[in-house]
Amino acid sequence: MRRRTRLLAGLVAVVAIIVVLLMTGLGKDPSVIASPLVGRAAPNFTLPQLDGPPVTLAKLRGQVVVINFWASWCTECQVEQAALDQAWQQFQDSGVVVIGVNFEDSTGAARGYVRAKDVTYPVVEDAGSKTALAYGLRGVPETFVVNRSGHIVRHVIGPVSAAALTSEINSVLLTGAQ
Amino acid sequence: MNAAGTLGRARAGLPGLVVLLALAAGLVTLVIVAVDGHPPASQGQQVQQIAAGLHCPICKDLSVADSPAPLAQQMRQEIAQKLRAGESADQIRAGFVAAYGDSVLMSPPRQGVAGAVYYLPLLVLAAGLIAGFTLLRRWLRAPKADPPGAGPPQLSAAQRRAVAKAVARLREEEPG
Repeated sequence: MRRRTRLLAGLVAVVAIIVVLLMTGLGKDPSVIASPLVGRAAPNFTLPQLDGPPVTLAKLRGQVVVINFWASWCTECQVEQAALDQAWQQFQDSGVVVIGVNFEDSTGAARGYVRAKDVTYPVVEDAGSKTALAYGLRGVPETFVVNRSGHIVRHVIGPVSAAALTSEINSVLLTGAQ
Repeated sequence: MNAAGTLGRARAGLPGLVVLLALAAGLVTLVIVAVDGHPPASQGQQVQQIAAGLHCPICKDLSVADSPAPLAQQMRQEIAQKLRAGESADQIRAGFVAAYGDSVLMSPPRQGVAGAVYYLPLLVLAAGLIAGFTLLRRWLRAPKADPPGAGPPQLSAAQRRAVAKAVARLREEEPG
């Protein structure tokens, strides 16, 4: 009888552990994955701008940089377009730079998208996807927030919302040069 | 011994010498391969080997070597460029792990939490063997239970009295 009770208690414990693990996993926001790059120095890049001089990330040290990987063929990128533009308009005078990194696209298509959507922040091309690979990109859109000391503080997979982006930028600006 | 004869003998022995040299070259190659473990791979083969160990980040269960996705293609080009730059296979893999995490590896690393994938089955097997051995030993040591009805018959009080009387009568009847 005692043995049967022990067996039952063991079974209940195993089931409870599995349930807790499943609940923990299901409760996580899939758009905010634990990127190995968060907390580390953002990989540097020098990329040609669509309409303007090349952009070098290292030269933007001291500013908060929002790096958004996008493509003209990506429908979800259109969803977040307004949020990125709003952030650029709102924070460019507060030491915040938004950079759009065009991913696996043609120059013509990218330029057409920028004109049609009236993108106002700098857009660069990543021919050969070297920068995308350095940032561990899995698709578009993906957004990285880099603090003033050049470290990645946030990695968002999927479209960013205006509220979340504003909150994140404010939080990085408030914490100062981390 | 004239010069013509010497030259003739040398000509006659030439095919044998060629065969001997070829055999020696083959032997040396075999020794090199045996010492090195495998013949030196071309850069294309090295790219394939490294790409086969990397998981395509945008695919389901496909390696970078097998995936037709443009990103996997870029990764193969990146591997080739890094090999040309003199990076070792381990350095190239470490670069991808730094950007993508351990999930980019087709086989999880043997250390850390992921190492449980390798060691947990062995632990479970060992625990199963111990449990099986313990149960078997207990089963072998346990007294064999008699089948029902194999023991001495249970007698009632009246029957026991009758048996006792019969035994006493027999003893009385015994001579001497």
